[in-house]
Amino acid sequence: MLKLLLIVLSGLILYIFASNDAFLYKQPVGKVENVSVKSVSKTKDTFNNQDKITVQEVTFKILNGKYRNKIVKLRNTYSRSGGLDQEYKVGNQVFLTIKKHHGKVNSSISHYKRDVCLVMLLWLVIVLLYATMKLNGLKTLLSVAVNFVVFLIFVQLDVMLNLTHFFWLFAAAAFIFTILSLWLVIGVNKQWFVTCASVVSGTVIALLIGLIAMSVTNGKGVHYEALDYATQSPKQLFLAATVIGLLGTVMDAATDIVSTLFEMKRTDEKISEGQLFKSGMAVGRSIMGPLINVLLMIFFAETFTMAILYFKTGNSIAYTFEWTMALGIVQTLVSGIGVTLVIPCASFLSAKVLGGAQDVND
Amino acid sequence: MSTISLLTLILMILMILVGGKSGFTSFLSVVFNFLILFAAVILITGGISAIGVTFFAGVCILAITIFMGNKNETSTNTAFVATLIVMVIMLLLIVPLDYFAQIKGFSNEQSEEIEAFNLLVGANFETILISTTVLSTLGAIAEAAVAISSGLEELSEQNPGITIAEIFKSGRTIGFQIMGMTFNTLFFGMFGGDLALFILLYKLNANFGYYLNSKIFVGECMAVLYSAVAVILVIWITTYLMGRKINQKRKGTDF
Repeated sequence: MLKLLLIVLSGLILYIFASNDAFLYKQPVGKVENVSVKSVSKTKDTFNNQDKITVQEVTFKILNGKYRNKIVKLRNTYSRSGGLDQEYKVGNQVFLTIKKHHGKVNSSISHYKRDVCLVMLLWLVIVLLYATMKLNGLKTLLSVAVNFVVFLIFVQLDVMLNLTHFFWLFAAAAFIFTILSLWLVIGVNKQWFVTCASVVSGTVIALLIGLIAMSVTNGKGVHYEALDYATQSPKQLFLAATVIGLLGTVMDAATDIVSTLFEMKRTDEKISEGQLFKSGMAVGRSIMGPLINVLLMIFFAETFTMAILYFKTGNSIAYTFEWTMALGIVQTLVSGIGVTLVIPCASFLSAKVLGGAQDVND
Repeated sequence: MSTISLLTLILMILMILVGGKSGFTSFLSVVFNFLILFAAVILITGGISAIGVTFFAGVCILAITIFMGNKNETSTNTAFVATLIVMVIMLLLIVPLDYFAQIKGFSNEQSEEIEAFNLLVGANFETILISTTVLSTLGAIAEAAVAISSGLEELSEQNPGITIAEIFKSGRTIGFQIMGMTFNTLFFGMFGGDLALFILLYKLNANFGYYLNSKIFVGECMAVLYSAVAVILVIWITTYLMGRKINQKRKGTDF
């Protein structure tokens, strides 16, 4: 009961703090005090899409910095569909850009304040993890956090070194991710070594198959330039993203198989190499489908917004598919190949290592 | 032959080689899910309510992922019910939070890709975002639900004397093992996809305060966190439903 109260209280305190944290930011934050609609107009484009544009005058009271407590009136234009704009309501907090130019103060709306939502959702995840598995749950979170930091370090290295073949940098990052995550979940032992070896072999073979398939077909139907946010060679960026995405699922499959086989050996020491291999393949068969579907859902759902924009502006199904979804599908397929290949790899390696051994841990 | 057809062919052959008949069924489940997702995009474009389409597509996808390739009826039925409950809870969580976070549509960082378009297309980007978020969590919850329910089914069959408290405890243990790895899958899947974005943000010299409030970064982080919530919820609910079912079965045979 006391624990429940503490959890609710911590959430409440966090909410109140995040809603009033404007003093932590250098950029001015304004709170919407008053809103009045100035004009409403209807639009219609060449594809007969109808929309509504509203201009509102928003009165902000600035919450921080040297302009604190000053009142600013700004115009905001928003559409009903809201692709790149949004309506402001009384009580919203918004970042503003205020610049002094020749003695005249110029201000404009910069972006919406979203930190409260992010912090509250993070709090919910931590509470749920703790409620489910106590401190072990936080260890899971630690593994994700450690990987995230490594990921950011490699992003920084990439920008600093500005290599021509930066793909190898992220391939190295992927290798470190594997070793670290499996170390945190399994610990350093024979099982860890076998899992790492299967993950690496599965990933490398799948990537090679993917590359061969792309060069044999001359990359027909794949437009690397459709990759969002690309600031470096889009082909290498795409391959790097594929390796990292591929790794997660391959690791998932390999861990399931290897840990099941090690458990079998522990309970039955006389189990044969052939039997172990067979059992590994059976485990693999049952997880293969769901795992590939996990990736399909992640990669495909991300393309929804863009695909609808393409369809709405009169593009054909084939064109929309090629330019918005093809890259995600290639990623899913390469990952699927990786998952399928890691099943025999993990089964074979575990069977070889465990088959003749007298003891699991020797 | 296009790259995608060749890769699809390779995947199909490998899945059949490794999995035989059940490998082929798994391959079909991926193809069906793809077709449903594609149909969902077209229906939403046609003006049908995005949330309605998502709900219907979600039920179909969960059914396909769970029932195709699994034969045990008790555990798959439980897994299916558990995932449906979680999908409804997630909708109730996502609808208000996405409204408050205002992460719909496109971000400033994407302006290069969308500058050729007139964005006044009369679509409701807010409901489209909800649809995207719900659908992206479904694969992970289906996988977790099947793993736990079949694991517990196996356990209760091998140890008929096991108590309900022990079943709940094992459910959590199995859940913990799955969760660690599922988080990694989700994390690498999503952040791997955002690699280019992170490089761009880094090059823009964005400060930490900007990260915490920018549409794109908050949106991507919230997607990962939603999946985490969904996976934890599905572990709880599947374990509870499975325990209840085993309990009922025992009472039925005892008396």
